[in-house]
Amino acid sequence: MAKVTIYSTPTCPYCEMAKEYFKKNNVEFQNFDVSADEKAAREMIEKSHQMGVPVIDIEGTIIVGFDRPSIDKALGIK
Amino acid sequence: MYDLIIIGGGPAGVAAGIYASRKKINALLVTKFFGGEWISSDKIENFIGFKAISGLDLAKTLEEQLRSQPEPIAVKDGITVSSIKKIEGGFEVADSGENTYQAKNILLALGSGYKKLDVPGGKEFEGKGIFYCSTCDAPLMKGKNVAVIGAGNSGLEAAIDLLPYASEINILQYNDVIKGDAIYQEKLKADPKVKIITNAVTKEVLGSDFVSGLKYTDANTNEEKTLEVSGVFVEIGYKPNTDLIKGLVKLDERGHIIVDHKTFQSSEKGIWAAGDMADGLYNQFTTAMGDAVNAVLNIYETLKVK
Repeated sequence: MAKVTIYSTPTCPYCEMAKEYFKKNNVEFQNFDVSADEKAAREMIEKSHQMGVPVIDIEGTIIVGFDRPSIDKALGIK
Repeated sequence: MYDLIIIGGGPAGVAAGIYASRKKINALLVTKFFGGEWISSDKIENFIGFKAISGLDLAKTLEEQLRSQPEPIAVKDGITVSSIKKIEGGFEVADSGENTYQAKNILLALGSGYKKLDVPGGKEFEGKGIFYCSTCDAPLMKGKNVAVIGAGNSGLEAAIDLLPYASEINILQYNDVIKGDAIYQEKLKADPKVKIITNAVTKEVLGSDFVSGLKYTDANTNEEKTLEVSGVFVEIGYKPNTDLIKGLVKLDERGHIIVDHKTFQSSEKGIWAAGDMADGLYNQFTTAMGDAVNAVLNIYETLKVK
């Protein structure tokens, strides 16, 4: 199964939507709360070259925002 | 070919979808997601029927009601519409995945989006210090100086979202009218780290990889000033999402689709519009839903005649 990481804040609805979408599609993921975890926040900025959440890392493919078409493509969801 | 394609999954789109289901119209609803820009609101108190509901819960409730219709119309979410064109007997909608869908009628319900900051650096630093979702991105501003552009309710709400995190909050308003509610103003004025700067016209966002400052002029003195900030939260209003249909239908000077307010049909026969995209005077959840229901019932009548 693809390694999926999401960088999020607890208040962000698009982060919530992304997590719910992963759950619905039985995709396991690791969540980092960048408001509390500074190391993860730096990692997110290094990977995405920007600061907006959510940032999703699917096996090295970096997706900014809850961008369903890009997520589907990276995970092979039809 | 469908009889109707509804584009959008906000209050107008979902209301249209529910009525199209009940009328058994051969219809498809396409949307990027269910909700709208208001999804980041943690408390909505003017959606009649709920005393208070969060944006995310409202979006879920709308989606559930549509999908649980006894005979729901076809629904595709996760779709970004890239073009709409006229074809024989109707219209063709294409998405970013190069799929196409055809219908005799199109109901546009894409709502409105944030007005973007149109100054040098405005586009370049989007996500790199310029943010449009304070609920999402305020927690990243821990210990940082920030600017909020706009002192309407959205601007003041953004400043309130930033209170627990930012060390200095500058609220910039281009004239001397603070439109945001008094209750928000009082809360912000009581906090020493908040500064409201009136007559401040934003000129440029500065930085290299990320935002490091903001240049503005004082509208009274024309004096140029610079703020050292790492974040700029933009709340300067909304504009209708009508870029997609420019040239296909008549728009008013503000970019809204001109519709007949009895039928909600646009200048192009077969294209209808509801909610923030249409040229109504007010952009409210309930007025958008009313537009959409009117449109679908009118579409149903035209389909019966044929």
